[in-house]
Amino acid sequence: MLTMIRAIVRPEKADKVLASLMEAGFPAVTKYSVAGRGKQRGIKIGEVTYDELPKVMLMSVINSADKDFFIETVMNTARSAGKGAFGDGKIFVSDVEESYTISSGVKETAYGSEGVAP
Amino acid sequence: MKEVIAIVRINMMNQTKQALTDCGVDAFFAHEAHGRGVGFVSPAVLEGTVQGHEEAAALLGEKGKLYPKRMITAVVEDKMVGCVVETIINTNQTGMPGDGKVFVLPLTDAVRVRTGETGVKSIS
Repeated sequence: MLTMIRAIVRPEKADKVLASLMEAGFPAVTKYSVAGRGKQRGIKIGEVTYDELPKVMLMSVINSADKDFFIETVMNTARSAGKGAFGDGKIFVSDVEESYTISSGVKETAYGSEGVAP
Repeated sequence: MKEVIAIVRINMMNQTKQALTDCGVDAFFAHEAHGRGVGFVSPAVLEGTVQGHEEAAALLGEKGKLYPKRMITAVVEDKMVGCVVETIINTNQTGMPGDGKVFVLPLTDAVRVRTGETGVKSIS
Protein backbone atom coordinates (compact mmCIF):
# COMPACT_ATOMS: atom_id res chain seq x y z
CA MET A 1 0.00 0.00 0.00
CA LEU A 2 1.26 3.44 -0.91
CA THR A 3 0.72 6.57 1.12
CA MET A 4 1.26 10.20 0.23
CA ILE A 5 2.51 12.38 3.06
CA ARG A 6 2.27 16.13 2.69
CA ALA A 7 3.97 18.07 5.43
CA ILE A 8 3.74 21.84 5.77
CA VAL A 9 6.75 23.12 7.67
CA ARG A 10 8.52 26.37 8.41
CA PRO A 11 10.81 27.41 5.52
CA GLU A 12 13.81 27.68 7.86
CA LYS A 13 13.23 24.10 9.03
CA ALA A 14 12.90 22.60 5.54
CA ASP A 15 16.59 21.86 5.01
CA LYS A 16 16.86 20.22 8.41
CA VAL A 17 13.82 18.06 7.74
CA LEU A 18 15.15 17.08 4.30
CA ALA A 19 18.48 16.09 5.83
CA SER A 20 16.87 14.01 8.55
CA LEU A 21 14.60 12.30 6.01
CA MET A 22 17.65 11.41 3.94
CA GLU A 23 19.25 9.94 7.03
CA ALA A 24 16.09 8.03 7.89
CA GLY A 25 16.12 6.42 4.45
CA PHE A 26 13.54 8.53 2.60
CA PRO A 27 15.55 10.10 -0.22
CA ALA A 28 12.61 10.85 -2.51
CA VAL A 29 10.91 14.12 -1.59
CA THR A 30 9.36 17.00 -3.51
CA LYS A 31 9.40 20.50 -2.08
CA TYR A 32 7.33 23.51 -3.03
CA SER A 33 6.52 26.85 -1.50
CA VAL A 34 3.07 27.60 -0.22
CA ALA A 35 1.44 30.40 1.73
CA GLY A 36 -1.29 29.97 4.27
CA ARG A 37 -2.69 30.46 7.69
CA GLY A 38 -3.73 28.15 10.50
CA LYS A 39 -6.41 28.25 13.13
CA GLN A 40 -4.66 31.13 14.88
CA ARG A 41 -5.77 33.19 11.85
CA GLY A 42 -2.28 34.32 10.96
CA ILE A 43 -0.10 36.57 13.07
CA LYS A 44 -1.14 39.94 14.43
CA ILE A 45 1.74 42.33 14.94
CA GLY A 46 0.48 45.65 16.23
CA GLU A 47 -2.30 46.79 13.93
CA VAL A 48 -1.30 44.59 11.01
CA THR A 49 -2.54 41.03 10.56
CA TYR A 50 -0.49 38.71 8.38
CA ASP A 51 -2.76 35.91 7.22
CA GLU A 52 -0.64 34.56 4.38
CA LEU A 53 2.44 33.15 6.05
CA PRO A 54 5.10 31.56 3.86
CA LYS A 55 5.60 27.86 4.45
CA VAL A 56 7.21 24.96 2.62
CA MET A 57 5.27 21.86 1.58
CA LEU A 58 7.20 18.60 1.52
CA MET A 59 5.53 15.81 -0.43
CA SER A 60 6.59 12.21 -0.46
CA VAL A 61 5.01 8.91 -1.44
CA ILE A 62 6.09 5.98 0.73
CA ASN A 63 5.00 2.52 1.79
CA SER A 64 2.22 2.58 4.36
CA ALA A 65 4.35 0.47 6.68
CA ASP A 66 6.88 3.32 6.96
CA LYS A 67 4.21 5.94 7.62
CA ASP A 68 4.60 6.27 11.38
CA PHE A 69 8.40 6.43 11.20
CA PHE A 70 8.23 9.08 8.48
CA ILE A 71 5.78 11.20 10.45
CA GLU A 72 7.86 10.84 13.60
CA THR A 73 10.99 11.95 11.72
CA VAL A 74 9.29 15.04 10.32
CA MET A 75 7.60 15.83 13.60
CA ASN A 76 10.81 15.66 15.63
CA THR A 77 12.80 17.90 13.29
CA ALA A 78 10.11 20.40 12.29
CA ARG A 79 8.93 21.17 15.81
CA SER A 80 10.34 24.27 17.47
CA ALA A 81 12.58 23.68 20.46
CA GLY A 82 10.81 22.74 23.66
CA LYS A 83 7.08 22.18 23.45
CA GLY A 84 6.73 23.49 19.92
CA ALA A 85 5.02 26.68 18.78
CA PHE A 86 2.07 27.79 16.70
CA GLY A 87 3.05 27.78 13.06
CA ASP A 88 5.23 24.69 13.17
CA GLY A 89 2.99 23.17 10.54
CA LYS A 90 0.80 20.21 9.72
CA ILE A 91 1.18 16.75 8.26
CA PHE A 92 -1.49 15.28 6.00
CA VAL A 93 -1.71 11.63 4.96
CA SER A 94 -3.62 10.35 1.94
CA ASP A 95 -3.87 7.08 0.04
CA VAL A 96 -2.21 6.64 -3.35
CA GLU A 97 -3.73 4.05 -5.66
CA GLU A 98 -1.00 3.84 -8.26
CA SER A 99 2.51 5.18 -8.68
CA TYR A 100 4.62 5.13 -11.85
CA THR A 101 8.29 5.79 -12.36
CA ILE A 102 8.51 7.55 -15.71
CA SER A 103 12.10 6.58 -16.55
CA SER A 104 11.47 2.84 -16.30
CA GLY A 105 7.68 2.75 -16.66
CA VAL A 106 7.44 0.56 -13.57
CA LYS A 107 4.02 0.63 -11.94
CA GLU A 108 3.60 0.25 -8.20
CA THR A 109 0.21 -0.37 -6.66
CA ALA A 110 -1.08 -1.45 -3.29
CA TYR A 111 -0.17 -4.99 -4.29
CA GLY A 112 3.44 -4.45 -5.35
CA SER A 113 5.36 -3.65 -8.52
CA GLU A 114 3.95 -4.64 -11.87
CA GLY A 115 6.90 -4.68 -14.21
CA VAL A 116 7.44 -2.41 -17.18
CA ALA A 117 4.48 -0.56 -18.66
CA PRO A 118 4.24 -0.13 -22.44
CA MET B 1 -12.84 10.69 -10.14
CA LYS B 2 -9.08 10.54 -9.73
CA GLU B 3 -6.36 13.06 -9.03
CA VAL B 4 -3.28 12.47 -11.17
CA ILE B 5 -0.13 14.14 -9.84
CA ALA B 6 2.89 14.04 -12.13
CA ILE B 7 6.36 15.37 -11.44
CA VAL B 8 8.25 16.01 -14.67
CA ARG B 9 11.30 17.76 -16.05
CA ILE B 10 10.90 21.51 -16.68
CA ASN B 11 11.96 21.28 -20.32
CA MET B 12 9.28 18.66 -20.99
CA MET B 13 6.39 20.94 -19.96
CA ASN B 14 5.49 22.12 -23.46
CA GLN B 15 5.43 18.62 -24.90
CA THR B 16 3.46 17.36 -21.92
CA LYS B 17 0.90 20.14 -22.26
CA GLN B 18 0.49 19.38 -25.95
CA ALA B 19 0.23 15.64 -25.35
CA LEU B 20 -2.35 16.07 -22.59
CA THR B 21 -4.46 18.29 -24.84
CA ASP B 22 -4.25 15.68 -27.60
CA CYS B 23 -5.49 12.98 -25.23
CA GLY B 24 -8.42 15.14 -24.17
CA VAL B 25 -7.31 16.63 -20.87
CA ASP B 26 -7.38 20.40 -21.20
CA ALA B 27 -7.66 21.34 -17.57
CA PHE B 28 -4.81 20.96 -15.14
CA PHE B 29 -2.59 23.12 -13.03
CA ALA B 30 1.15 23.15 -12.56
CA HIS B 31 3.43 24.05 -9.70
CA GLU B 32 7.07 24.89 -9.53
CA ALA B 33 8.61 22.26 -7.31
CA HIS B 34 12.03 21.08 -6.23
CA GLY B 35 12.67 17.45 -5.57
CA ARG B 36 14.96 14.52 -5.27
CA GLY B 37 14.39 10.88 -6.08
CA VAL B 38 15.63 7.61 -4.70
CA GLY B 39 19.01 8.59 -6.13
CA PHE B 40 20.10 5.65 -8.22
CA VAL B 41 23.78 6.01 -8.96
CA SER B 42 24.78 5.49 -12.58
CA PRO B 43 27.35 2.74 -13.11
CA ALA B 44 29.61 5.14 -15.02
CA VAL B 45 29.87 7.46 -12.01
CA LEU B 46 30.54 4.57 -9.68
CA GLU B 47 33.25 3.20 -11.93
CA GLY B 48 34.80 6.66 -12.20
CA THR B 49 34.91 6.93 -8.42
CA VAL B 50 36.59 3.57 -8.11
CA GLN B 51 39.21 4.70 -10.62
CA GLY B 52 39.81 7.77 -8.46
CA HIS B 53 38.30 10.57 -10.58
CA GLU B 54 37.47 13.52 -8.33
CA GLU B 55 34.55 14.71 -10.47
CA ALA B 56 32.82 11.38 -10.15
CA ALA B 57 33.35 11.39 -6.39
CA ALA B 58 31.82 14.87 -6.22
CA LEU B 59 28.75 13.61 -8.14
CA LEU B 60 28.34 10.80 -5.63
CA GLY B 61 28.40 13.27 -2.76
CA GLU B 62 25.50 15.29 -4.23
CA LYS B 63 22.89 12.86 -3.04
CA GLY B 64 20.64 15.21 -1.12
CA LYS B 65 20.49 17.89 -3.79
CA LEU B 66 17.06 19.12 -4.89
CA TYR B 67 16.49 19.55 -8.61
CA PRO B 68 13.94 21.96 -10.09
CA LYS B 69 10.86 20.17 -11.48
CA ARG B 70 7.30 20.88 -12.48
CA MET B 71 4.40 19.28 -10.66
CA ILE B 72 1.27 18.80 -12.76
CA THR B 73 -2.05 18.07 -11.08
CA ALA B 74 -5.01 16.98 -13.18
CA VAL B 75 -8.40 15.82 -11.96
CA VAL B 76 -9.86 13.34 -14.43
CA GLU B 77 -12.64 10.81 -14.77
CA ASP B 78 -11.87 7.21 -13.80
CA LYS B 79 -11.87 5.99 -17.40
CA MET B 80 -9.33 8.64 -18.45
CA VAL B 81 -6.69 7.69 -15.88
CA GLY B 82 -5.00 5.02 -18.00
CA CYS B 83 -4.75 7.30 -21.03
CA VAL B 84 -3.40 10.21 -19.01
CA VAL B 85 -0.78 8.13 -17.21
CA GLU B 86 0.33 6.49 -20.46
CA THR B 87 0.54 9.85 -22.22
CA ILE B 88 2.64 11.39 -19.48
CA ILE B 89 4.98 8.40 -19.35
CA ASN B 90 5.40 8.18 -23.12
CA THR B 91 6.05 11.91 -23.44
CA ASN B 92 8.50 12.22 -20.59
CA GLN B 93 10.40 8.97 -20.76
CA THR B 94 14.08 9.32 -21.62
CA GLY B 95 15.12 6.32 -19.56
CA MET B 96 17.44 8.37 -17.37
CA PRO B 97 16.92 8.83 -13.61
CA GLY B 98 15.07 12.09 -12.96
CA ASP B 99 12.29 11.62 -15.49
CA GLY B 100 9.82 11.93 -12.66
CA LYS B 101 6.88 10.17 -11.09
CA VAL B 102 3.16 9.82 -11.63
CA PHE B 103 0.81 9.29 -8.72
CA VAL B 104 -2.89 8.44 -8.88
CA LEU B 105 -4.98 9.41 -5.86
CA PRO B 106 -8.67 8.87 -5.20
CA LEU B 107 -10.79 12.03 -5.04
CA THR B 108 -14.17 12.22 -3.35
CA ASP B 109 -15.74 15.20 -5.06
CA ALA B 110 -15.11 18.28 -7.16
CA VAL B 111 -17.12 21.47 -7.56
CA ARG B 112 -17.11 23.99 -10.39
CA VAL B 113 -17.25 27.34 -8.69
CA ARG B 114 -18.93 29.19 -11.58
CA THR B 115 -22.03 26.97 -11.76
CA GLY B 116 -21.94 24.96 -8.56
CA GLU B 117 -21.94 21.66 -10.50
CA THR B 118 -20.48 18.73 -8.58
CA GLY B 119 -19.01 15.35 -9.42
CA VAL B 120 -18.04 14.25 -12.92
CA LYS B 121 -20.06 17.11 -14.47
CA SER B 122 -17.74 19.66 -12.92
CA ILE B 123 -14.66 18.29 -14.69
CA SER B 124 -16.10 17.46 -18.12
